Amino acid sequence: MKAMFQFLSQLSFRSKINLGLALIIICFGLLLGILGHAVLSRTVLNETFKRGQTLVMNLSARSVESILSQNFLRLTVLVTEIDQIRDQGDIAYAFILDRHGQVLAHSFREGFPAALRLVNPVADHQPYALQLLDTGTERIYDFAAPVVLDNVRLGTVRVALSDSTIMASNARLLRLVTGVTAAATLLALIGGSFFARTVTKRINALRTSTEAVIKGELGVQASDALGRNCWELRDCREAHCPAYGDRQRRCWFITGTICPECDTGGFPEKVARCLNCPVYQQNVGDEIQSLAESFDFMAWSLKNHIDELNDSRKNLARQKQLLKTILDVTPDLVALQDEKLAYLAVNKAFCRHIGLQEQEIVGRTDYDILGAEQADRNFHEDKQILLTRQPLSKELMTMGGEGRKWHHVVKVPVIEQDRIIGLLSTARDITVVKQYQEKLIQSQKMEDLGRLAGGVAHEINTPLSIILGYAQLLRKEIPADNPVGQDLAIIEKQAQTCRKIVADLLSFSRSAEKSESRIDINASIREVTDLVAQIFQQNRITITHRLDDQIPPVSGDKERLKQVWINLLNNAADAIGTDGCILVKTKLCAHRRRLVVSITDTGGGIDDQHLDKIFEPFFTTKSVDQGTGLGLSVTFGIIKDHGGRISALSPVPADYMDNYPPCEGEPGPGTVLFVELPLEGKVLPDDECIEIPGKA
Amino acid sequence: MHWRHILLLLCCFVLLPIAGCGDQPAPLKVDLSEREKVSPGSHQPVITYAYLPQFSHTVSFERHQRLVRYLSEATGLNIQQVFPETFHEHMLMLDQGKIDISYANPFVYSMTAEQSGARVFAKIIEVTGEAAFGGLIITRRDNPDIQTIADCRGKRWIAVDRFSAGGYLFGLGTFLDHGLRPEDFSQIVFAPGPGGKQESVILGIYAGRYDVGTVREGALELLADRIDLAQIRILARTPRYPGWNYAARPGLAKEVVDAVRAAMFALDYENPAHREILEKAALRGIIAAKPEDFDAVRDLIRRAGLH
Repeated sequence: MKAMFQFLSQLSFRSKINLGLALIIICFGLLLGILGHAVLSRTVLNETFKRGQTLVMNLSARSVESILSQNFLRLTVLVTEIDQIRDQGDIAYAFILDRHGQVLAHSFREGFPAALRLVNPVADHQPYALQLLDTGTERIYDFAAPVVLDNVRLGTVRVALSDSTIMASNARLLRLVTGVTAAATLLALIGGSFFARTVTKRINALRTSTEAVIKGELGVQASDALGRNCWELRDCREAHCPAYGDRQRRCWFITGTICPECDTGGFPEKVARCLNCPVYQQNVGDEIQSLAESFDFMAWSLKNHIDELNDSRKNLARQKQLLKTILDVTPDLVALQDEKLAYLAVNKAFCRHIGLQEQEIVGRTDYDILGAEQADRNFHEDKQILLTRQPLSKELMTMGGEGRKWHHVVKVPVIEQDRIIGLLSTARDITVVKQYQEKLIQSQKMEDLGRLAGGVAHEINTPLSIILGYAQLLRKEIPADNPVGQDLAIIEKQAQTCRKIVADLLSFSRSAEKSESRIDINASIREVTDLVAQIFQQNRITITHRLDDQIPPVSGDKERLKQVWINLLNNAADAIGTDGCILVKTKLCAHRRRLVVSITDTGGGIDDQHLDKIFEPFFTTKSVDQGTGLGLSVTFGIIKDHGGRISALSPVPADYMDNYPPCEGEPGPGTVLFVELPLEGKVLPDDECIEIPGKA
Repeated sequence: MHWRHILLLLCCFVLLPIAGCGDQPAPLKVDLSEREKVSPGSHQPVITYAYLPQFSHTVSFERHQRLVRYLSEATGLNIQQVFPETFHEHMLMLDQGKIDISYANPFVYSMTAEQSGARVFAKIIEVTGEAAFGGLIITRRDNPDIQTIADCRGKRWIAVDRFSAGGYLFGLGTFLDHGLRPEDFSQIVFAPGPGGKQESVILGIYAGRYDVGTVREGALELLADRIDLAQIRILARTPRYPGWNYAARPGLAKEVVDAVRAAMFALDYENPAHREILEKAALRGIIAAKPEDFDAVRDLIRRAGLH
C-alpha cells in the first residue's frame, strides 16, 4: 500500500486526474450499474410478478363462464392461449382446476404433472398466491388464483412464469448497464483527458516558469500571449501609457495606466476598477490563466526589485568601500563599540595600534584585547560616558615599541532615537604636535635664556674688560719671570677665555651688531674651508666641495654666516677626530625658493636621543674642557636670524655617503647637518625641500 | 480518517444494494416428471338445473345459485346448475336429457314442449307482482322517420334473440298485428351473445346503429344508470303473455318434480331468507302452472311461422 501511494504521488498531475476520473467514473458506473441493475432486476421481477398476477387473475376471470358451462374446449383454449405466449416469453405452464381439485384444462402436452396439483394452495379470500418452484432444471414462479363467483369457489387457476427468462432479461439489462457504463466511462475519460490536458499543459508551463525563476531566470512568460491587447482593443495611440506595447504584462497589473476609467491609486484600487473594464472582461482567463498572469507579473516585479536591489547593493558596497578606505587610510584610530562595549567596527590604524587583525577585535571587548589594567580603566571611562551621555576628550601618552606616543582621544556616545546604541572612539596621534609643542617651549626657553645670557654677558663684559686691562697693565709692570707675573698671565688667559664665552653669549643672544648684505653662499663656504682645510689636514681630515653654481646670492650677515660654517666644520672635525672626510654640498631646492647646505662627516655619529638636543645651549657630548656647548646653539640662533632652519641626521643616509673621495681610516656612521636658507625674505617658504632626506 | 475506514465505507456503500437483491421466496422443489392423465367432466350432477342463457353465465349463476342450493337442501337432491351457451343449446340439452329442470321463457318452453315433450310445472311471479310480461318496441326519440309501428317498414330491426319471447316473439306478434312481416324490414339482426343481449339491443338503438328494437319489459331499467333513457322512445308495448316457467324434461321422475315443485312453492316472499333467494333470482314467487296457460304463446308462434 505504501508503494502504491508512492507510485501515485509520483504520477503526473494529468495521469492523476485521468486516473482519479476513471476511478470515480468506474466506481460510480459500477455503483450505478449495480444499483440500477438491482433496481431494474427488482422492477423486472415486480413486473413479472404483476404480469403473473395479472395473467392468473385474468385467466381466473375469463375462465368463470367456461367453468360454469363446463366448456372444456374453451378452458383448454384459454390455457393454451396463455401457453402460446410461452414461445415468445416466460410462461412455463397454465392449468385450471375445478373446485374439487380436478384438472379441467392444462397446457402440458405430455400429461399433467401430478405434483403440481398440491403445491401453491390459495384460499378463497386471497386474490392470488405466489410460490417459487424448483423443478430441478429451472426455477419457476407459480401463480395461483381462485375462481370465485358470488362467494362460491368454482375452481383454481394456475399460471407459471419461468425464472430463466427473467434471468435472461436481467442478463440483458446487465449487459446494457455495463455497456452504458463502459461507454460513459470511455466518454468521460476522453473528455477528462482533454480537460486534464488543457489544465496540465498550463500547469506545466507554470512549473517550467517556476523552475526558471528558481534558477534565477526571472524574465519568464507562463501565460499565453493575448490575442488582442488593451491598446488594440481600445484603438489607443497613447504611447506614453505604461501598458502600451507591453505584451508580457496584463494592463490590469500595471499601475499608472491612463485610460479615463483607470484608477489613479495603487494596485488594489486599480484591480477593483478593472473588474468592470471591457478589456479585462474580454481578456481575463480562468483561474489558472489568472494564476499564470499573476506569476508572470510577480516574476517581473521580482526581477525589477532584484535589479533595484542589486543597484542599491552595488551602491552600498561602493559607499562602504569608500567609507572603509577613508577609515582605513586615516591615521586616526577609529573604533565603534556597542552598548555592551564590544567592538563593532575598527579601522586599520586601530588594528595596527592594538597589534591584532580586525576579525580578532570585532565582537570582543577591551578585556579580550588589552591588558587587564588598561581594559578596566577603559571600561569605567566608557561606562561613565554611556551613563552621562557626555563626550570625552583627552590627551593620552603611551609608551610602546615606537617610543613615547601621544594621542588625542575623543569618545562620543552614539545616540539613536534617544537611546544610546554605542560608543565611537577616535584617537589621533599628536606625538609630532607634542614634539613641536615641546620644541616651541624649548625655543621660548632658549630665547629667554639667550636674553638672560646676553644681559649677564653685557653686564660681565665691562668688569671683565677692566679685569683684563688691569691684568695686562700689571703684567707690563711685573717681570715675566716673577711668579706674580706668571699668575697674572694665568689671570689674563682665563679672562680672555671668559671674554670669549661672553662674546659667544652675546652672539647667541643676537645682541651683537648685524650687517646685512648680498652674500654668495658658495664663496662664503670656500673662504671658510680654505681657512680651516690646512688645520684639518693635520688630523688627516679632508674637506670636499660639491657646490651648486646655480645658487643666487642671498641676503644675510656675511661674518656671522662664516661663523656658522666654521662652527659646523669644527663640529664635523671634532666628530671625526682623525682620519676622515667632510663633504660640503650646496644645492638649490627644486622649487628654487630655498637653498640647502649640507655638511657631512664620517665621524662617530649622534645617538637618536641626542639629535633633538644638540642645538640646546650648553649641550655637548664633548669632554668638559673641549667645548662650551654653545657652538651649535649660536649656529642655531644665526640661522634662525636668517629665517632658515638647521637639522641633523645620523647616521648619514646612503646617498650622502656616495662619491666621497678616498678617506683615511675607517668611516663611522657619520652625521649630516642641513642648513636651509630662504632665497628671498626671512621666512622659509612652505614647500619642503625634497633634497633633504625625510622631507620628500 | 484512515484509508481503511474509507475502503470499508466504500465496500458497505457498494455491497448494501447488492445485499438487498436476495429477498426472493425460498423455492419449493417439485417433480414434474410424474404425469397423470385427466378426464375432464367426470363429475356430473344428478339433477341438472339450467337457466335459459339470456344473460351471461355469471349473471345466471349469481341469480340462481342460491335458489339451486335451496332446492338441493330442501329436496335433499344433488341439484347442480348447468350453463348452456345459447338458447338453442339449452333446447338441445333439454332434448338430450342433459337438463332436468329448465327455467325458460314461454317461447322456448313452447318450442321445447313441442319438440321434446317438456312439461311445465311452475311459473314465476315477476318482480312487478304479475305472472305475465310483455315486450317493448323502442326507437330513438329523435328519429323523425318512425312515429308509428307502420313507420317501421323498411327499417333495420334489432331483436334480442331468435328464441327470445319478450325481445323478439312478442314484438314480432305486434308487427304482424300491424301488418308488418319480417321481410318488410330492411334488416333483422339478433344481438350478439352470449349474455347481455337485452342491453345490446337498447345500446344498438341508442347508438343509432338500428332504427327499431324489441326488448322485454323492464330491460330499459337495466341501463338506467349508464345511458340517458330519455333518448329512447317506447314506440309500442306488446300484449302481455304468461311469463317464465319451470319445465321438467320428459322422463324425469315424478317424485323429483314434485319435490322440486313443493320446494319452489314453499318459497315465501315474506320470509327474509326466501326473499333474498327470490330477489337474487329476480322473482317475487313461484306458482303452479299447466301447459294450457301458454296456449296464447303457442298461437303466436304459429302465426309467426316460427314453429
